[in-house]
Amino acid sequence: MAPKQSTRHAITLKGSTALVTEFFKFAVNTILFQREVYPSDDFHMVKKYGQVVLVTQDLALENYLEKILQQVQKWILTGSVTQLVLAILAKDTRTTLERWVFDIKLVEPSADSKEGTGKPEAEIQSEIRAILKQIVSMVTFLPVMPEEKVFNILAYTSDSADVPAGEWVDTDPLAIEASKSQQVKMRSFSTDVHRIEAMVAYRYEE
Amino acid sequence: MSMQKTPQTPSRRRVRSEVKTPLTPSLLSAFNTVSIESPIKRATSTSIPLSDAFQRQASAGVIRKGGVESRIDVVTLDYVPPPKSAEVKRSRSTPAINRAERDRFITSRDHTLEVSATLDQMSLNAPSGSPTHTARLAAAAGVPLNRRILGYHLPPPSASSDTTLALQREFARPLYANRPGAIATSTGATTNKTRKISTQPERVLDAPGMVDDFYLNLLSWSSLNCVAVALESSTYIWKADTGAVVQMGEAPAGTYVSSVNFSNDGAFLGIGLGTGEVELWDVERGVKLRTMAGHQAQVAVLSWWQHLLSSGCGDGSVWHHDVRVPRHKVMELLGHSGEVCGLQWRKDGELIASGGNDNVVNIWDGRLGDAPVGGDVVATGNAKWTKRTHTAAVKALAWSPWQPNLLASGGGTNDATINVWNSTTGARLHTQTTPSQITSLHFAPHRKELLSTHGYPTNAIGGVVAEIRDAHDSRVLFSAVSPAGDMVVTGAGDESLKFWKIWDIPASDKKSKASGRGEGVTRSGVLSIR
Repeated sequence: MAPKQSTRHAITLKGSTALVTEFFKFAVNTILFQREVYPSDDFHMVKKYGQVVLVTQDLALENYLEKILQQVQKWILTGSVTQLVLAILAKDTRTTLERWVFDIKLVEPSADSKEGTGKPEAEIQSEIRAILKQIVSMVTFLPVMPEEKVFNILAYTSDSADVPAGEWVDTDPLAIEASKSQQVKMRSFSTDVHRIEAMVAYRYEE
Repeated sequence: MSMQKTPQTPSRRRVRSEVKTPLTPSLLSAFNTVSIESPIKRATSTSIPLSDAFQRQASAGVIRKGGVESRIDVVTLDYVPPPKSAEVKRSRSTPAINRAERDRFITSRDHTLEVSATLDQMSLNAPSGSPTHTARLAAAAGVPLNRRILGYHLPPPSASSDTTLALQREFARPLYANRPGAIATSTGATTNKTRKISTQPERVLDAPGMVDDFYLNLLSWSSLNCVAVALESSTYIWKADTGAVVQMGEAPAGTYVSSVNFSNDGAFLGIGLGTGEVELWDVERGVKLRTMAGHQAQVAVLSWWQHLLSSGCGDGSVWHHDVRVPRHKVMELLGHSGEVCGLQWRKDGELIASGGNDNVVNIWDGRLGDAPVGGDVVATGNAKWTKRTHTAAVKALAWSPWQPNLLASGGGTNDATINVWNSTTGARLHTQTTPSQITSLHFAPHRKELLSTHGYPTNAIGGVVAEIRDAHDSRVLFSAVSPAGDMVVTGAGDESLKFWKIWDIPASDKKSKASGRGEGVTRSGVLSIR
């Protein structure tokens, strides 16, 4: 098995992008399920990263996420997206309740590590697993949101990013007032090319 | 987690009150104040006072136009206001930004990223200041400005419990569209290659006076091959083996029979009345054994499990009656705000499902509390799962005989949807939209099929593979499956009972079960039941 392992080490930009995009899909699904943005009946269990992940069965939502992630994948590939934000808003008042922030950083490959130092996929997967588990565990201290919720996905891109006209529009950052928000940093994971750092900010007053 | 405000640490409060003492505007005393004011901060902060103050303001969201630069100069001269963030109420276990090094969840990032959202908002605001000011501000905070925040132009789809969306989906995906080889014929029978069912009933019985009420359950088929049907105030038993009809007594004057159900062994019949009494009858001898009173409203549904007779009442309660003991009410399940019209024990007695006019499906633990409760107090149960997906009354409930944790539930006119649930995880496994009100559901005993009966406008008996259109002239209200598992009897508002041969008994079962199937069933024609 050893030689096969070593060939898998050299993770390409494309492979890393696919990995990161896939992670977003499962992370978003997990958040939407855990924070009850969509009814839990709509989710079914899927085995992924060696654990069970809940993924939506709602066709409309599936397609919606698929469309977003396709574009995000393009942006990651060109390195023009720096941050993805999943904002959860109250449906009636449109106030932001939670912002799940994922920083996407390009890892500068060091000169001496041209090959052989790559991270095994198993290690990346276990890091991803740790983040997803952390999202689940967040529910224990995040404030309960009894109202109806909607979500929104924001992409922080560079000025030069290719933006499909009409599909993506400049928007409000949906920020939570700094005095009313609390932040918790979460775990991170990295491939040889990308480093994803996660954190959540949530509205907390009185 | 509790969101209640918790008291802050007393030390911090005391420190703050000290700060309010008047200060001399000398540089030295200002420096002293900073150190007295927040000893914690001093211990952790290694940055110079200037940027420290700025950062605290930044994290507190108090960066104001024109305020920052002047504050940067002033900070060494004068009183520094205590950071606003110290006043943020937080619960005890919630980590917060300023206690960075003390919790493993805490961010170690610099504060500039956290204010970036605030800054972005400001930079998008036209009147927020001169460009040079914004640039200086951005440079101070280390936030790049050549950045765009993009959102997808469409809003995310709303949750599927949204009824208008459900309606649209119903139009988009016709019910039987994906059925292979479906052919609609002029006789109304729709069949496919794999399955062909007779669209003619095997037998029709007149049932004059059958109450045309969706919420009642007036038909039951016992394991001893007897069919019980309630016609207004009387209950009749039709023995399928012989074709004989026996009357099982009459409800007291002024009321009517609202539900009938055979015990699992077929020896006893439970009869629910409009006044709330539940009667217990011996089927063989045809005598009433006891009357169990207590319900304050109509008992619309009954379900047996061994010695437990459970009754669903018009007031939304479900009672377990232990028919063996004098104090018959042994448990109460409160979980419906509307009339309970569907109730079904699972075969093994582990779980019981109830559906009500409040559009809720509840799944309860079937176990009784082990300690007998004295006095008038009875044990109450809590629902294991509560499902509010249906948008109309849930009368049709069925447990799968071949997969114990499957429960199917069907909604009334406004809903007309069959949902299949996993009773272990609570997940909705399948949803099937049908054209009309669902009045009853049965899983096929020997096949992986589900049978449903419907009301207006199709009055149909249908499964996912086949359908009998216009089976009755009026809506099909009740149905029961024969003990052998091949026949289904339906009762409808047109005051007739019809027997349909829906399934075949598998060859291996035929020999053992053939005796259970009455030869009278094969005769055809219309008989009067009374």
